[in-house]
Amino acid sequence: MDVGTVSLFLALLAVAAELATATAILLAVGGRFSPVLRRLGRQAVEAVGPQALALAAVVAAVCTAGSLYFSEVAHFTPCHLCWLQRFCMYPLVPILGIAAWRRAGRVRPYAGALAIVGACISSYHVALEHHPEWESSVCDPKNPCTLIWVKRLGYLTIPTMALSGFALVITLLAVSRAGNRLRPSEQPRSEVHG
Amino acid sequence: MAKENSGAVAAARRKQPPWLWIGVAAAVVVLLAAAVLAGGGSGGKSSTKTAAGLEQTRPVTVIGTPLPKLGEGGDPAVGQEIPEVKGQSFDGTPIDLRNDGRAKLILFVAHWCPHCQREVPLLTNYLKSHPLPSGVDLYTVATATSPNQPNYPPSAWLAKVGWKAPVMADSADQKAAEAFGLPAYPYFVAVDGAGKVVARSTGEITTDEFAALAAKALGNR
Repeated sequence: MDVGTVSLFLALLAVAAELATATAILLAVGGRFSPVLRRLGRQAVEAVGPQALALAAVVAAVCTAGSLYFSEVAHFTPCHLCWLQRFCMYPLVPILGIAAWRRAGRVRPYAGALAIVGACISSYHVALEHHPEWESSVCDPKNPCTLIWVKRLGYLTIPTMALSGFALVITLLAVSRAGNRLRPSEQPRSEVHG
Repeated sequence: MAKENSGAVAAARRKQPPWLWIGVAAAVVVLLAAAVLAGGGSGGKSSTKTAAGLEQTRPVTVIGTPLPKLGEGGDPAVGQEIPEVKGQSFDGTPIDLRNDGRAKLILFVAHWCPHCQREVPLLTNYLKSHPLPSGVDLYTVATATSPNQPNYPPSAWLAKVGWKAPVMADSADQKAAEAFGLPAYPYFVAVDGAGKVVARSTGEITTDEFAALAAKALGNR
């Protein structure tokens, strides 16, 4: 597969992530006003909640793989804002993976904090792409953060895809927390076997 | 008690249907198939020659002393004669930047640079209604060209924007840019009729600043 196909695939995954996040927000907010949406939201939490940490780990892993593909295979040099987003995304893979395996819901605040910081950096990076004058009025010959390597479906650049990934991770952590409230009997593995 | 909890967790795990993971996997496969069928479209490129046969980089020869790199503070190149830079346009037409007795403005752009992508259309529109004075020639150098960078090739970008000034395709090792002391993009060099640098500027500029550079090149300070 060439770079164009892979970037389109990652862009489609980002769209799916955005739809999932938007649906979760709709159910969470709409559920406060509509009994139907509240019931749907509860059903969604019951269905997804027990697997939400594992799903979040998968999302982080896909984002990490995509990021490494762009830099190591497509040779798109990461700028310093890209690196900051990597610092937030990469640790989420082992943190959420181990948390999912051990059912250690207590890591949610720490993983959530990382994801929120990453989402903030991604948001700034996306804004910078639209307003390159915020960084500077010149292009650094080395590697400016305003450089748009990929633009798919009219708006999906690399930081936009990262933002979609962070948003879905945050959403899944929230779903996991809500699911834990619905199923308080589930214990962390360490406590079960300890 | 611990064994009871362990049993409850195990039972809960067994009760969870695999449809969620099957659904996620199916969705990923569908999206992958869609991407493959759509064919991507902006895959990696390795050649600097486009389908139209235009070369995006061309050999460049520099004769004379290169200008010092533009830095902070005063410009040490002001008053210095420009080197002679012999190159070609995308289609191979010879273009020389030298002391030919005419004032000139030279604009260096990189196709991937978002500031250049804003500056060139701005100047294109401005020049439609405000042509440069007849004593000033405008040249462009497309430099830092790379098929792996966005908005490639520069020939297509400049044609799409409607840029009319002659464009020299810089060499792959950016000899023309180095000869004029380029520090960043976009980059302007104003040269008077004696072939001497009167001003250099980097970054986006306004149309008024552009007109002022042309006036400086003509000697109207």
